[in-house]
Amino acid sequence: MILSPAERSYLYDSLAQSPPIRPDSRSDHQFRPLEAKTAFLPGSNGSARIRLMDGSECIISVKAKVVLASQESSLIECDIDIAGFRDDSNFVSNLKFYLTNLLLHNFPVRYLKLTSRYAFKLFLDCIVVSHSSYPLSLISLTSYLALKTTRLPLLVSDVNDEEIAEQPTFSDDWDNAKYIDDYLKEGETFEPPIFITLGVIGPNLIIDPSTEEEQVLENGLIISFYNNNVITPISNINLATNSNNSNFKGLNRTLITKGIALGNKYCPAIISALNTLIEQDDEEGTIF
Amino acid sequence: MNVSEVISITKPVGLDNDIDSDVEMSDSENQAQDSFKQSIVTPGELVTDDPIWMKGHGTYFLEDRTFSSVAGNISRVNRLLSVIPLKGRYQPETGDHIVGRITEVGNKRWKVDIGTKQDAVLMLGSVNLPGGVLRRKSESDELQMRNFLKEGDLLNAEVQTIFNNGIASLHTRSLKYGKLRNGMFLKVPSSLVIKSKNHSYDLPGNVSIVLGVNGYIWLYKTSTGINSATNTSVTSNTNMFRASVDTTGSYAIGQGSVSITRLEEESSWEIYSDKNDPNISNSVRSNITRYNNVLRAMSFCELGITEQRIIMGYEASLSYSNIGSLIDKESMESICQDIINNEKMRG
Amino acid sequence: MELYSPEGLRIDGRRWNEIRNFECRINTHPNSSDGSSYIEQGNTKVICVVQGPMEPALRSQANSNEATLEVNLSVANFSTTERKKRSKSEKRMVQLKTTLERTFQQSVMCNLYPRTLIRIDLHVLSQDGGMLAACTNAMTLALIDAGVSMYDYVAAMTAGLHDQTPLLDMNGLEENDMSTLTIGVIGKSEKLSLLMLEDKIPLDRLESVLAIAIAGSHKIRDLMDSEVRRHGNIRSSKLAS
Repeated sequence: MILSPAERSYLYDSLAQSPPIRPDSRSDHQFRPLEAKTAFLPGSNGSARIRLMDGSECIISVKAKVVLASQESSLIECDIDIAGFRDDSNFVSNLKFYLTNLLLHNFPVRYLKLTSRYAFKLFLDCIVVSHSSYPLSLISLTSYLALKTTRLPLLVSDVNDEEIAEQPTFSDDWDNAKYIDDYLKEGETFEPPIFITLGVIGPNLIIDPSTEEEQVLENGLIISFYNNNVITPISNINLATNSNNSNFKGLNRTLITKGIALGNKYCPAIISALNTLIEQDDEEGTIF
Repeated sequence: MNVSEVISITKPVGLDNDIDSDVEMSDSENQAQDSFKQSIVTPGELVTDDPIWMKGHGTYFLEDRTFSSVAGNISRVNRLLSVIPLKGRYQPETGDHIVGRITEVGNKRWKVDIGTKQDAVLMLGSVNLPGGVLRRKSESDELQMRNFLKEGDLLNAEVQTIFNNGIASLHTRSLKYGKLRNGMFLKVPSSLVIKSKNHSYDLPGNVSIVLGVNGYIWLYKTSTGINSATNTSVTSNTNMFRASVDTTGSYAIGQGSVSITRLEEESSWEIYSDKNDPNISNSVRSNITRYNNVLRAMSFCELGITEQRIIMGYEASLSYSNIGSLIDKESMESICQDIINNEKMRG
Repeated sequence: MELYSPEGLRIDGRRWNEIRNFECRINTHPNSSDGSSYIEQGNTKVICVVQGPMEPALRSQANSNEATLEVNLSVANFSTTERKKRSKSEKRMVQLKTTLERTFQQSVMCNLYPRTLIRIDLHVLSQDGGMLAACTNAMTLALIDAGVSMYDYVAAMTAGLHDQTPLLDMNGLEENDMSTLTIGVIGKSEKLSLLMLEDKIPLDRLESVLAIAIAGSHKIRDLMDSEVRRHGNIRSSKLAS
C-alpha cells in the first residue's frame, strides 16, 4: 500500500497527538471488531476461523497424531500458508518462526503424553486467505481459539507400557474425547499464549494498528501474553513490510516498559472475550 | 475495565439470513409471482429470439438468438438489449468526477488507479502546469513529471474521454481538480455512490468531502484557500497572500508570490505541493474520523451515499460521544437505521 | 468392505446414480474480492476468491488481445484424514492448475477484457473425492459473482466404473479403488469443456460412464443456477429499494 506524502503527514500528525487520533477514532487500547467461529472442520481435532470487517481472514486447523515421543524433537509443529506469498519467503518464514517459538515454550506439553513411550503430536496448519495489516496477532488469536477447542480422543489402553510395548488404543465414542482443559488439575485452566501488535508513534503506543497506521509508524512492538502475564518474546518490528516506511527509527526504552504495562492491562480482556465466544459458540454450522 | 472497550468478538451471521427466511417460507404461488416480477437472468440463458434487437453489453448471440453472459437484470432501451451485471467494477463514463491514485509515471503520461478493470491515463497535456494556462509543454516538463505527480499521489479529476479499448483518460484542467491534501482517504463500493451534479461538498464540522463516482473518497479540512468548493477570487487571493507569507520551507520558484488574477493562481506551484495546512485542529481531525466511521457504516449496510445522508449520519452519530464505538456492527446498523428513519420523516 | 453391494448400495448408502450432498454459497467474501464462492460436495470443501479483471502487476502478464487467467490452487495440509504437507509446485498441483486455466480460458469471454488479469485463488479445505470437479464448480460461481462475462456455466462431476456398473459422484475411497473420470459440461448441453481420466476405462464402457456423468453435471448446474438466482434476486431487490 502506498500513501501520498500529504496522507502520510496528516496521519502521522493525527497519531502523534495526545491522545492519538486514529483514522477510525479507536482508543489506543481498542482492537478492530472480529467475527469468529470454531469447530467447523469435522476432519480435524480443532479448528477456528477469524474474519475482520475489511475481509482479512485466517483459518487454523489442529490435528493430532500418535508418535513415539523419543523420536520427535518437539510435540508441536506449525505451518502457515499466506495467499499470494511463497512458502519460503521471509515474510512467511518469520511468521512461522514467531508462532512455533511461542507455542513450543508456552504449552503444557506434559498433557500430550499418553504413555511412557507414546505421545500426541499437534500439527497446527494456518491458512491466511487474505490480510491487510501484519497478520501475526490475527493468526495468534485464531490459534488460541483452535487450541482451546481441540479435542483429543480418550486413551483406553494401559498408561504404563514400560514392560509390554503396545500401540495405544482409544475410545471409539467421539463424545468421550476430551478438551486439553479437561486434563488439567482443578483450578487450572488451559489458555494458549497470544501475540499482540503495538504501534509506536511519538510518545504513543496504539494496539492493533491498521494498514494505513502501519505505514507511518516509527516502530512496532510484538508482545506475547500467557497465563495472565506478559512474557517473552518481545520484539520490535517494522510492520510496514511491503513498502518504504521513512518514519521508521529507533525505539525508546521507556516505550518497551510502557508496552509491557499496556499488555498486562488489556490482554486479560482479550482472553476473556475469546473465552466468551467459545462458550457461546454452537458446535454445528458451517462457516458460511 | 469493560471488555467491550478493548475488543468485540461476534459470531458470523449467515449472509442472507434475515431475508432468507422469507424466501424459504414462500410457497409455489409466491415463487411464481417473484419470477414474474423483475427477476434476473444468468449466463447461458436465452434472453430473446427476436433478431431486431441490437446486442449490447452482457449478451452474446448465436444466429438469431441472444443469450446472457452475466448474472444480472435485462435492460431494454430503444433498440438496445443488454444485461447489466449485479456486481462489477466501476465503469467510467465521460464527465465523471473521480478520485484516483498515481501508480506509474510514464512517457508524457501518468497511470492512475481509479478502481476500474484497467488503470486510467492522465496525459501531461491534460494537467495545469505552473506558469499559466498559456504555458506550453516543454521537454524539461516531460523529464520532470515526478515533480508534479509521483507514484502514490492522490488527486481528483474528471473523466475526459474513454478510448476504444475501454481505458479512461482524465484531466485536471480546473481549479477544483488536482492533488489532494489535508485529509484522509477511504474506499466504498462504487455502486453505492449516487451520481449527481456536484461531488464536492462542504459538510458541517469544518470538513469537506470529495465523493468520487468510483467509490474513492477524500475527507479533508475545509480550506479557505484554493481548493474550496465555494470560493471567490477575491477571498482566495487574500488568503493565498496570507498563506504564502506564513509558509516556511518552500522549495520551488514562484511560491510565496502574490497572485492577482485567477490565471496567476493556476500557475502557482502551490497546486502540486505535498505540504498540508499546518493548522489542522484536533476537533477537525475528530470530525473527519466521525465522517469516516459514518461512511463505513453506510457501506456496511449497503446504503446509497448522498450529501444529505452523510449529514444525517453525522448528526445521528453525534449522540455517540465516543467516536470509536461506531465501528461495531450494532452501532453501524443503528446509524443506518437512523438515516433511513430521518429520510422517511422528511418525506 | 465392498464398494458396491449386491443390493446396489455404495459405502455411504447411495445408489449408483445419486450425487452426494451439494451445498453452494456465492458472494462469501464481499469485502476482499470481486467475486467469491464456497462449495461443498459431500465432504469436499472449496473456497474460491476472484480478483479482477484488474490491471496486472507484471507487464509480462498483459496480453493485448485478451484477459490473462491466473489460477492459484492451494490444498490445505489438513484436507485429508492423514495430514500431508503439499507444495504448490508439486507436479499434480501444477497439472490441476493448468487444467483449470485452460478450461476457463474457453468459457470466459476473455477478449472483452484485453490487457487485464483475472486472478483466481482456490483453497481446498477438505477433500474426499472430486476435488477437480468441486474446484471447477467453485470457479464458475465465483466468476459469475464477479460479473465476468461467460458463455455458460461450467458444471463438473465425477463418475467411475465398478466392474460393469458406472457410479456417479465418487467419494475418496471409491476414487482410490476405481477408475474415475472428471468432466466439465457447458450449461445444459452435452458439450464438454473439461475431460480428465487418469486411469483406464474400457472403450465400450466409456459411453455409459459419460452419460451418467453428464446427467449428474446437469443436476449440479441446476443447483448452482438456483443459488445464483436466489442470491441475485435478493440483491436486485435491495438495489431497487
